[in-house]
Amino acid sequence: MSRRLVIFSILALAMVVAPTVTSLPSGISGVKDTGCNCHGTDTSDSVIASISGLPESYNASVTYAVTVSFTGGPGSEGNANIGGFNLWASDGSFATVDSSTQLTGPSEATHTVEGNDQSSWIIEWTAPDSGKDVDFVLHTNSVNGNEGDSGSSGDMWNKAEATVLGFGPPPPPPVDPFKVLATLILVSSVLLSIVVLYVFYRNNPDGFEWEKFAPWITEWLTSTDHKKIGTLYFVQGLFFLGVGGIMAMMIRVQLSSPGNDFISQDYYNQFFTLHGTTMIFLAAMPLIAGFANWIVPLQIGAPDLAFPRLNALSFWLQPVSALLIFTGVFSGAGADTGWTGYAPYVVTETAHAGVSMWAAGQLMLVASSTLTGINFLTTIAVMRAPGMGWFQMPLFTWSILVANLMLFLSIPAFGVGLIQVYLDRTIGTGFYDVSAGGDPLLWSHLFWYFGHPEVYVVVVPAFGVISEVVATSARRSIFGYKSMVYAMAGIGIVAFIVYGHHMFTSGMSPTLRFVTMLTTMLVAVPTGIKVFNWLKTMHGGSLVYRTHTLWTLGFLVTFTLGGISGMFFPSMGMDVHLHETYFVVAHFHYVLVGGTVFGFFAAIYYWYPKMTGRMLDERLGVLHFLTGFISYNALFWPMHRLGVVGMIRRTHTYYITTDDFQALPEWAADWNMMISISAFLFFASNLILVANMIKSLVRGEKAPADPWGGWSFEWMTSSPPPTPSFDPHDIPTLKNANEHVANEPGKIGKWFQRLMVADDTVEEGSH
Amino acid sequence: MAGVTPLYDALWEDYILWSLFVGAITFGWLYHHTFYYRSDDGESPNVDDLKVGVFPKDYDNLRLEVTWTVLPFILIVWLTYISWAPLDAVWSQTGPDGYHGSECMEGESSNNYVDEGGYVRSDCYHVMSIDAQQWFWEFDCMELAGDLCSTDFATVEGETKPLLNLKAGETYLATLTSQDVTHAPKFTNFGMMEDVIPGVETNLWLPATEEISFLMLCAEFCGDNHAYMTAQVTVNG
Amino acid sequence: MSDDYGHDEHHPSPWGPHDWGHGAPHNSFAPLIMAIGIGIFLLMFGNLFAFGEYDSGYLPMVFVGLAVIASSFIVWWRQDMSFDGTYEPRSSGVPFKNIQIRKVGVWVFLMSEMMIFTSLFSTYMRYRLGIPRCDTVFESGDWVEGVAVNCYEPASQLIASSWWHIAPGAINTFALIISSFTIVQALRWAHKPEGSVDEEVRRKRVYRYLGATWFLAVLFLTLKMVEWFIGFHVPEIGFLGIHEHEIHSLYSEGYLISNDHYQSHNYVDEATGAHMVANIKVSATMFYVTTGTHGAHVLGGIIGLTYLTYKAWTGAYKPQSAVSIEYFGLYWHFVDLVWVLVFPFFYLY
Repeated sequence: MSRRLVIFSILALAMVVAPTVTSLPSGISGVKDTGCNCHGTDTSDSVIASISGLPESYNASVTYAVTVSFTGGPGSEGNANIGGFNLWASDGSFATVDSSTQLTGPSEATHTVEGNDQSSWIIEWTAPDSGKDVDFVLHTNSVNGNEGDSGSSGDMWNKAEATVLGFGPPPPPPVDPFKVLATLILVSSVLLSIVVLYVFYRNNPDGFEWEKFAPWITEWLTSTDHKKIGTLYFVQGLFFLGVGGIMAMMIRVQLSSPGNDFISQDYYNQFFTLHGTTMIFLAAMPLIAGFANWIVPLQIGAPDLAFPRLNALSFWLQPVSALLIFTGVFSGAGADTGWTGYAPYVVTETAHAGVSMWAAGQLMLVASSTLTGINFLTTIAVMRAPGMGWFQMPLFTWSILVANLMLFLSIPAFGVGLIQVYLDRTIGTGFYDVSAGGDPLLWSHLFWYFGHPEVYVVVVPAFGVISEVVATSARRSIFGYKSMVYAMAGIGIVAFIVYGHHMFTSGMSPTLRFVTMLTTMLVAVPTGIKVFNWLKTMHGGSLVYRTHTLWTLGFLVTFTLGGISGMFFPSMGMDVHLHETYFVVAHFHYVLVGGTVFGFFAAIYYWYPKMTGRMLDERLGVLHFLTGFISYNALFWPMHRLGVVGMIRRTHTYYITTDDFQALPEWAADWNMMISISAFLFFASNLILVANMIKSLVRGEKAPADPWGGWSFEWMTSSPPPTPSFDPHDIPTLKNANEHVANEPGKIGKWFQRLMVADDTVEEGSH
Repeated sequence: MAGVTPLYDALWEDYILWSLFVGAITFGWLYHHTFYYRSDDGESPNVDDLKVGVFPKDYDNLRLEVTWTVLPFILIVWLTYISWAPLDAVWSQTGPDGYHGSECMEGESSNNYVDEGGYVRSDCYHVMSIDAQQWFWEFDCMELAGDLCSTDFATVEGETKPLLNLKAGETYLATLTSQDVTHAPKFTNFGMMEDVIPGVETNLWLPATEEISFLMLCAEFCGDNHAYMTAQVTVNG
Repeated sequence: MSDDYGHDEHHPSPWGPHDWGHGAPHNSFAPLIMAIGIGIFLLMFGNLFAFGEYDSGYLPMVFVGLAVIASSFIVWWRQDMSFDGTYEPRSSGVPFKNIQIRKVGVWVFLMSEMMIFTSLFSTYMRYRLGIPRCDTVFESGDWVEGVAVNCYEPASQLIASSWWHIAPGAINTFALIISSFTIVQALRWAHKPEGSVDEEVRRKRVYRYLGATWFLAVLFLTLKMVEWFIGFHVPEIGFLGIHEHEIHSLYSEGYLISNDHYQSHNYVDEATGAHMVANIKVSATMFYVTTGTHGAHVLGGIIGLTYLTYKAWTGAYKPQSAVSIEYFGLYWHFVDLVWVLVFPFFYLY
């Protein structure tokens, strides 16, 4: 019964729908077979139908006078009737100009009775807006004018077709790139929140109640525990890594072809500025801080950092500063000075209003980093476990120590520069007012005095991670522990005296140029020592290939390449050609992404089980590595050559050689396209990591305390560790596999200790 | 292989050679150990007997460490040394000790040539000036004769840009000034650039050795139209 | 959540007060609120002023930002008030063995502060040495009337021109030095062992010395404002031979960061009566920002002293907790030291 009802309904529907379909004049089975239905006469090639007056391509809504006519056939002067026509257009509309024609539909016209005596007719056609091509089909009937029956026997007809080209699809309304960015960020945040909520729900369905929400959120907003703060930094860092990546992709779309117009230069300038600032200050530094917060207290056997509330302040300054930095972005007035913010452009009114907030946000980040530096330096100096002398600390802790020392000694200079810019832009001080005698180079000095140590600050912790992972993966002690420490310290010191290499083309004195050239080259020596030590660590080892091992090996390749490409800059004869080109972009992305980011991917795979208590999926990890490593190299390697042939950085577009002048070679456009595609692939590959983390949170296998066989203290704690991380009354003691007693202070330590005078009103002991 | 200028190319080749050398050692070493010291599946002998909570055994070799401190150091010193002369050439001082002599007299020609080291040397040089503004270049040939230096405008693909005509075989010293913010004229085919800083006068050598016509770009971010701040430089015979 | 090593179930409120018997606070709202307050302040200040233009509509919001920061301090102090020195961890390792961790932290903090003032001084040196002095330019005659010349006009030209003019600065110097002394005294009295002094006497001495420090710091800032904006009137004191005259503030003399056509009676050509007009934006900027940064640090000290004085008034500083005064004292000595450098370089030279 119901089946019949269905069939009946379908048929009824078909009958209702069918008559509304307009059939072409050509009928169902083809033109010449059936022709004009109304006359049912024969076709003949002697009749030649034609349409004239149509343009080759139309403009929207313009009216054209179209003439349809025929020659030949039996119709001729003196016949009772001469001929008729039927004209059909696939789009647009007709209008009659006289009584010889009539409309049978909005875009179909035919002759009237009065028009029977003509062999040519004029009709008006108004073009549509759609821009699509319009087809015309004309049938003309040549009438022999004989009397009798329907008067149509002996008539002959033929057909003509014409196509008028459109102008392509109407141009889409211009897109506001910031709306796109905001939408992408919003959508991904919403998706992420949903996923996070789902993860929580799966892990603990009962805990998912409103009454439990307030204490839970309060806990996260107010916690001073290093592990929670580490997680907060981590989430922030990964989020902004994604945001920065989205900006990079928009930059790459713009650059995928020369003269491209995806985003205006105004927006483009804001995008590359924010890409740099976001990636360094809101992604890389927080990721480092996240790991430092999590792992350093565990490694040195401390229950928490020295100043927990200050640590929380360091963190909370960051998301608030992000709000400031991004202020003005969504209204199109974000900072557009490049992350280096060179004076005097940075204090002019032509630079966007968002620059003031960009400076203010970074001031908060300076405060955050300074407080972090104080916290870590103090913690590492004073809260090490018994048995852990300076030369028994794990190398990751050493790397955080060196990085924080560099950071907090260099960042105040940047802070002062930022205050100067902020004051210049607000109350109108004259620090960089050239007309009043202000000196733009002062900013360059203050900035790069910070800027150069800063890039070592972001890479040295990656060195620390690599040391840990290589040693654990090879099941060996790290080779040359002491020289690793001295090399890091050496890098830390030399980092302060090389910053002039960013200013080679700014009219420096020749002596300073030479000195800076030498010191910059020298930085390669300690870095090289570290690379060779890592390689030697693998020697005689028994390498177990986990994902963190793969990322470490990837790091060794890309960081070495980046370091080698960096050696080209201090050589002045080459710097003068390579400065501000894509060679620079290639170099620093090799060391920053291939160095820092790869190092931190290794750290994620290495310490995630410790931090969350779940193992990550190794197969997804290998997939992440393979896709990421390959797309990354396809993305950044070609930039070296593009830089050598002269492609400038921070430009909205680039120029290819023409007949009039030489510029970039032809292949530069193709290479840029390939780089852009690789950028999207690289971005996508990192989503595998996100998926892996989420999957493991939901149903990863539980992690043991020491899944990889590491020796440092974090592997003694449970996964995840309790709070406080160690019992303050029962800190473990570091034993030593070496026979000599290694935790006695050395000569320098003893001498330094004598300078310190502890109050004598207290007993021995720590807590 | 780089194809910029002889000075650049010579340095580039040296550096590439050394890079390949260092790369071969490093990557060869890396790849060898990656495969040779793999552990069999599942099994992972604890070579240095790592235990949780125990600081690992010392593993070092003073001789090796000193070697790979000293050898790279020597290489670095060498690379610095070979970069010294180019530094002097790029920022040559004026006068008889420099690479380009003193300012040319009326009618004198630079007669520049590339010596065996790849450095451009000239008998004398001509002075001109370049003034930068957001977002265009202003060339001023000053007192130079029309065939030595002239300025014009070129229209390329609907865009008008300044055109600088120079003469092959002549060397120019451009004094650079800025009206507003920092810029940097980049003469790609001469392998030269220098920043232009408001309130400061910088200088740039422009050795025009061969006939060529190329696009000059701005290489220091200067605001909205930074990418479009171009000029055409034509070196005529 | 996770295993707690035998802590009891108490969870002190993140708003304070805190029970220091179990260590530093695990939860606190203060950091979050402070960060938000700083963000609001900087955002609103950036709208209040734009390139020297003042838009008073944003003033209330600037104060909102400051109020939020103040409230975060209140939360922080609520947690600190109950601190009585029982929890004062000391360093376990070389080279700071047995020294309080917080003391090490203060020294490390002072290192970064040194870097800030070093950067400011570097800027000062760059401009002071790189821009010719106005008096040199004036004497060389290399100027045209009506055309502003860029030159460096140190504030000392105005301030060091007479004893009365320098008086506020000199008094300030002594005020800070004496305040460093009073804070040491406060510490000394707080440190006196139990039993060797009556507790009420200790309480009074400590809070009075701390209060004196506070007062001297406020005096410092007040005199600075007099110097900058208010000026003062010197009455006739016949028997000392003092004539009645005005000491003009820097503001009324036109020594401003926005002044690009500064004129001074020092720069009038006696012969022709022509005035040299100078663009002193850079020099005024250097003066106000450097001394202002120092002043901001004094203000920070005043805020800290407010808390310390109040806590001392409640009698909370005993030998066990006295060391907290020392931490502040270290900072305060640093501020004093910076002034000892700033004063000659900016006021005298």
